[in-house]
Amino acid sequence: MAASLLGRRAALFFGFTKLNSFLPAAVQQIANYNPRPLWLNIKNPYIPNKESEKTPEWQKTEKYERKLFGRYGSASGVDPAKLWPSHTRLEELMAEEKEWHPPIEVMLKNIAARQKEKEQKRMEREKIIAANMAKMPKMIADWKKQKREAKQKQREEKIKRDKLLAEARERFGYALDPRSAKFKEMVAEIEKEEKKKRKLLKRRKREEEQGSAGTTAAESSQ
Amino acid sequence: MSWTKTTTGKTIDIVKTLPRITLANLRPNPGAKKDEKHRGRGMHGGNRSGRGHKGERQRGNRPRLGFEGGQTPFYLVIPKYGYNANHSRRPQYPPLSLRRLQYLIDLGRVDPMQPIDLTQLVNCRGVAIQPLKQDYGVQLIDEGADIFRAKVNLEVQVASEKAIAAVERNGGVITTSYYDPRSLQILIKPVPFLMSGEAIPKRLLPGEDLLPYYADACNRGYLADPDKVQAARLALAKKYGYTIPDITMDTLFETLTRKKKKKKKKKKKKREKHGLLNAKLKEFLDPMHQRLRIW
Repeated sequence: MAASLLGRRAALFFGFTKLNSFLPAAVQQIANYNPRPLWLNIKNPYIPNKESEKTPEWQKTEKYERKLFGRYGSASGVDPAKLWPSHTRLEELMAEEKEWHPPIEVMLKNIAARQKEKEQKRMEREKIIAANMAKMPKMIADWKKQKREAKQKQREEKIKRDKLLAEARERFGYALDPRSAKFKEMVAEIEKEEKKKRKLLKRRKREEEQGSAGTTAAESSQ
Repeated sequence: MSWTKTTTGKTIDIVKTLPRITLANLRPNPGAKKDEKHRGRGMHGGNRSGRGHKGERQRGNRPRLGFEGGQTPFYLVIPKYGYNANHSRRPQYPPLSLRRLQYLIDLGRVDPMQPIDLTQLVNCRGVAIQPLKQDYGVQLIDEGADIFRAKVNLEVQVASEKAIAAVERNGGVITTSYYDPRSLQILIKPVPFLMSGEAIPKRLLPGEDLLPYYADACNRGYLADPDKVQAARLALAKKYGYTIPDITMDTLFETLTRKKKKKKKKKKKKREKHGLLNAKLKEFLDPMHQRLRIW
């Protein structure tokens, strides 16, 4: 029996026209699945009597009529025009579709707009970053300079303090506490002396300048 | 075993003279085997056999793991986050490998002479789709791409690049298309739907998340430009290093290029009464009213 099935004639018998030359002869027939039997009485279908009182209510509903038509087709005596949505229902459905299901062009536009916005945000952020990065060398240099100066100042301060301490040590003969009153007095004195010296220097300088200016004026006037 | 030191003889000679290995000569390493503790054999006649004192513990009636006496347990209090968040709302695509497809074709379960669609795959029980479990269709996997030989007109929902290449290399045509859940249910089980007498609904477009996928020619989307699809075919062939067979010369050209309409029209299907038990003749009815036709 198997041998008789394995053949092109058998394939035709089983009812399909084109044969796939790829498949070996043993598989030339397409496996026919036997589906579940449809328990449907098509010869004598039960169509309920609408007028009678004995028929249960659920057999007079629209849903049942739909099913009758689905199963038996025109033999069920149901007008297929009823099965599509009515005018009012159609209006509702169209409105719903318009609101919730935009056409493809609208959707593409929305997607494009969203993409564009994202891109724009990204570009702006990148710009800011680029600008800041361009500033970076200068900022680094400034910061370094600031640090250097601060250090320098600190060093100078230290030197000054040490000098004053040494001065105080010399004057008073012992290691004086820099916070004490004596030390502060001494510092004040030193400041005053320094000031006087600076003033003297300034005056002398001015005199020199005047003198030189006078001589040059004299020379020029000559 | 005490080894005698030999200066002249070799170990093999010694082994030859020794008795053969039997169960009587073997012993596990000391410390390898520990005696099993037998319950109910302890002091005082075993008593409670290591089960504790009364209650659920002794009586073996403890509640399930994670139960906290009615308080919302820890594993429910902590919300899902990141990778697992909203997992039950994500579309799922059960995989169909090329190997499985080749298997189905070889066994004659699916007919490569006709366009292979999700309906055909489900009819031959090649895949199991559950639309109610957020399955949105089937995805084509490239496992078995090296052994795939069939020339098919295939329609799936997602396809990987290598799988597309494998199909096109053999002279086939592959398309990815979208079915919304209601359409998908009808697609996989058409007969129960047709028996219900409902008007065939319109296949909705994919949402804004999936639209870029189906409008892209690289994915062979059904909404993509056909010219771009052709260009993508050539590009893919170049990438993977094969020549596309010219399907216009193919005898099955018509089958390979058969496409579905993008929007399923509103139709009603009915079954015609036939002399046979299996009513095979089905009629499509179109609505005559203008508005219904437009919609």
